[in-house]
Amino acid sequence: MDNGYVNARIKGMYSRLLDKKALSNLILKPDISSLITALEETPYREDLERALVGKPGLYGIEEALRQNLIRTIKKISEFLQGEKSERYILIFSSRWDVHNLKTILRGKRIKVPTMQIRENLVPSGEFDESLLSELLKQSDIKSVIDLLATWEVAYATPLIQAFPEYNAHGDLFILENALDHYYYEQALSLVNGKSTEERKIREIIGTEIDLINIKSLLMMFRDHVDLQDAEPMLLDGGKIFDRKILRLLLELGSAESLVEYMDETPYRFLSDLRTTEEDTLKISAYQHLLDEYLIRQAVRLYRGDPFSVTVVIGYLWAKYTEVMNLRIIARCKNALISPEDMEAEMVYV
Amino acid sequence: MTGWEVPIGAAIAFVGGAIATGIAQSKIGAAGAGAVAERPESGGTIIILEALPETLVILGFVVAAMIIIMVE
Repeated sequence: MDNGYVNARIKGMYSRLLDKKALSNLILKPDISSLITALEETPYREDLERALVGKPGLYGIEEALRQNLIRTIKKISEFLQGEKSERYILIFSSRWDVHNLKTILRGKRIKVPTMQIRENLVPSGEFDESLLSELLKQSDIKSVIDLLATWEVAYATPLIQAFPEYNAHGDLFILENALDHYYYEQALSLVNGKSTEERKIREIIGTEIDLINIKSLLMMFRDHVDLQDAEPMLLDGGKIFDRKILRLLLELGSAESLVEYMDETPYRFLSDLRTTEEDTLKISAYQHLLDEYLIRQAVRLYRGDPFSVTVVIGYLWAKYTEVMNLRIIARCKNALISPEDMEAEMVYV
Repeated sequence: MTGWEVPIGAAIAFVGGAIATGIAQSKIGAAGAGAVAERPESGGTIIILEALPETLVILGFVVAAMIIIMVE
């Protein structure tokens, strides 16, 4: 399909993303107010002006970044409305549905005030502001799931199925995992064709599943989770790891052996960290490395076929990374964290 | 004396160029509209790029004219 118009707009939008030099300048700002002044000279100005009226400082920046991301995803969805490529963008926007549902479930579980939960929601998928507000009004997890079932939202099915197990164990990870299983199954079913763009999108989803499984395995080994409980938590559809390999990985039993095994896979970069950190293995360091790898792979889609919808997907990942980087800068400025530590947390694309 | 082959040949030469120009301009036009929407300052460049495929139809016209003139 010829995406000439959309891709030209995306290229124009990509050219407005902040480059490494601009981000480095923001890192060097001494405090939040000078960061806001600098951000007002970027494409975030409009959102900042609006957000800072109601929320000062860090909260204003976070709100502006959130609104900017929502606006960007909506704008791109409108470009592709009614086109065949729209379903590929749905894969990306549905991530936010899963994110929103997980945030609401977590918030309801630990009884966080509604306003605080709302600040972390990104209404860019199936759920708009009004639907999310209705979900936020519910008193507990059960009522949230019941309301989803009343609306006949697809996400209700995996949640209803997992709810008895959650009720028995009280572990929220069971519900979150059910959502992940459902999301990735749906995402893969949307790209099961033979075209180059579907193959490329399938590959990136497969990579993401592999990386989530590696992260889960690292955490399971740390927490000494029972093998039988652990296996159903791992996701199917990975690019490299099928169910048989996942069982083998589970039997490795330790993070060190897992990282060693990765030497034979495209994820061998994990062992570089092991040698540089000299056995002081931190799961958060691995998680950061895995996230960085996924972002780099996904943003590479932007530089592929200029007429393919993969350009749009690559851009969406680049935009998401930029928003995350700005969030890190704002939060670290607020917490007086050094520029060096800040840079270590960021991902440049 | 010439038969029907000459005008048909000239027509094919012209129509070929015209169709090719149409296809090229539609693609450049769509991408150009997108580029101007995001970066209005690129408008001048887009107009030049939009005009470039015109050379194809001009070439087709010249070939058609040559066929008619030279064969006669």
